[in-house]
Amino acid sequence: MTNTSYVALSKQAGLSKELNSIANNIANADTAGYRREGFVFSEYVRMLEPHERSVSQTNIGGRFFDAAPGALVETGSAYDVAIEGEGYFVVQTPNGERLTRAGAFVMDREGQLTTQEGHLVLGEGSSPIALPPNATNITIANDGSIAADGAPVGRMALVSAEPTELMREGGNLLRSTGELTPLEQPKLRQGFVEESNVNPVMEISRLIEVQRAYEMGQKLLKDDDERISKTVEAMRAR
Amino acid sequence: MQALRIAATGMDAQQKRVEVVSNNIANMSTTAYSTRRAEFADLHYQQLRAPGAISSSTGLIAPSGIEMGLGVRTAAVSVNHEQGSLRQTGGDLDLAVEGRGMFEVTLPSGDPAYTRDGAFKRTGEGLIVNSEGYPLAGDITIPEDARSITINNNGEVFAYFDGQTAGQQIGTLTLTLFANEKGLEALGGNLFRETEASGAPIPGEPGIDGRGAIRQGFLEESSVDVVQQIADLIEAQRGYELNSKVISAADQMLGSTTQIR
Repeated sequence: MTNTSYVALSKQAGLSKELNSIANNIANADTAGYRREGFVFSEYVRMLEPHERSVSQTNIGGRFFDAAPGALVETGSAYDVAIEGEGYFVVQTPNGERLTRAGAFVMDREGQLTTQEGHLVLGEGSSPIALPPNATNITIANDGSIAADGAPVGRMALVSAEPTELMREGGNLLRSTGELTPLEQPKLRQGFVEESNVNPVMEISRLIEVQRAYEMGQKLLKDDDERISKTVEAMRAR
Repeated sequence: MQALRIAATGMDAQQKRVEVVSNNIANMSTTAYSTRRAEFADLHYQQLRAPGAISSSTGLIAPSGIEMGLGVRTAAVSVNHEQGSLRQTGGDLDLAVEGRGMFEVTLPSGDPAYTRDGAFKRTGEGLIVNSEGYPLAGDITIPEDARSITINNNGEVFAYFDGQTAGQQIGTLTLTLFANEKGLEALGGNLFRETEASGAPIPGEPGIDGRGAIRQGFLEESSVDVVQQIADLIEAQRGYELNSKVISAADQMLGSTTQIR
């Protein structure tokens, strides 16, 4: 194959990855606290044989993690909490502390606050939050402090993190590769769940864009193929 | 092409949501039915580049990794044990719980089951049973010659006899709490069973220690908000369509790929 084909193929490979990220965003459009993702493509200069010129291809250079907040939906459940603005809840998993914005929590059999998957929601000082099992009225204040029937039982740990330092782990969990700092002014809303920040209209227009770009790449490959076969044809005729 | 499979997980999730919504709507008139909600979580991520990897030939270290998501899954169908509104029926064995707590009935197997459906009946022997005929825990037998019975807010059952002005207490109902009501297993017939996740039952007197009060002559309605459910249904339908759009786009791209010569 010629360099033209390699360049076009690198574009096609990138577009198919881009399509995967669109598919993942759309699949997670109703996942609580989900953050839209995408890839950033960059030029990738590849050196050929020493006497030839270099050729530039395309490659995934980075990704973007859209930290914009999603819409808040009222659920009425006392253990549903949404964070307004920035910040993350801290949860305890077997692999260490993880972050999440999916605030649909439940109480486990010991009365401790956990995620839907059963990971403990941590309070200040990395301790779990235990609620009395016979409490009738659980209130979670704006700043994350929890009270059961008026008596304070703890305060949720809330941290801020750099979006570029966050890795996704599935199950609505994020792992930070950098430093975490306690959130200065948390703003929580009890009885609400934060929706994903996926905008379906934008995703579909990206989808169409990717599809058309792919078609163009395909045409380029086809044209290049024709060019070669015509050259071969011409040479054979001589 | 992974996008095909990713979009398929999305369609599957939206289908589950439609199933949950249709079950809610089907049960909008079921006594004490609690609304269910499908909760989703993102699936596993494939790491395309680990954080801290060397990103170029000059030895620069990439500040962040790159990962690619593989779709969505249903994390839970949670039961929202929210108080439904109370409907007056006047029946002397129609009981509603105002607040937390569940009635305990005994299954034919002898195991306990829990319900908030307080539409109880009386058998020929004077036993108090639920609509399925399972007896209410507490072994309360209503005497045959009782003129009427009253159940007060604290669950005390009084029988009134002809010629007597004062009632005679014939037993006390209990209400049961669980640390995690969402962890109960639904058995159908408005019944729930204790599980590893729910915690042990904590029976006790109605009206104290966080238990709700009993209201005689009322039944609890389902907590289904039909408008909300229809809105959810439309959202799920559109979500399904969006995912199927991704499938057709991925299919088209895959189709043109097979034509490369």
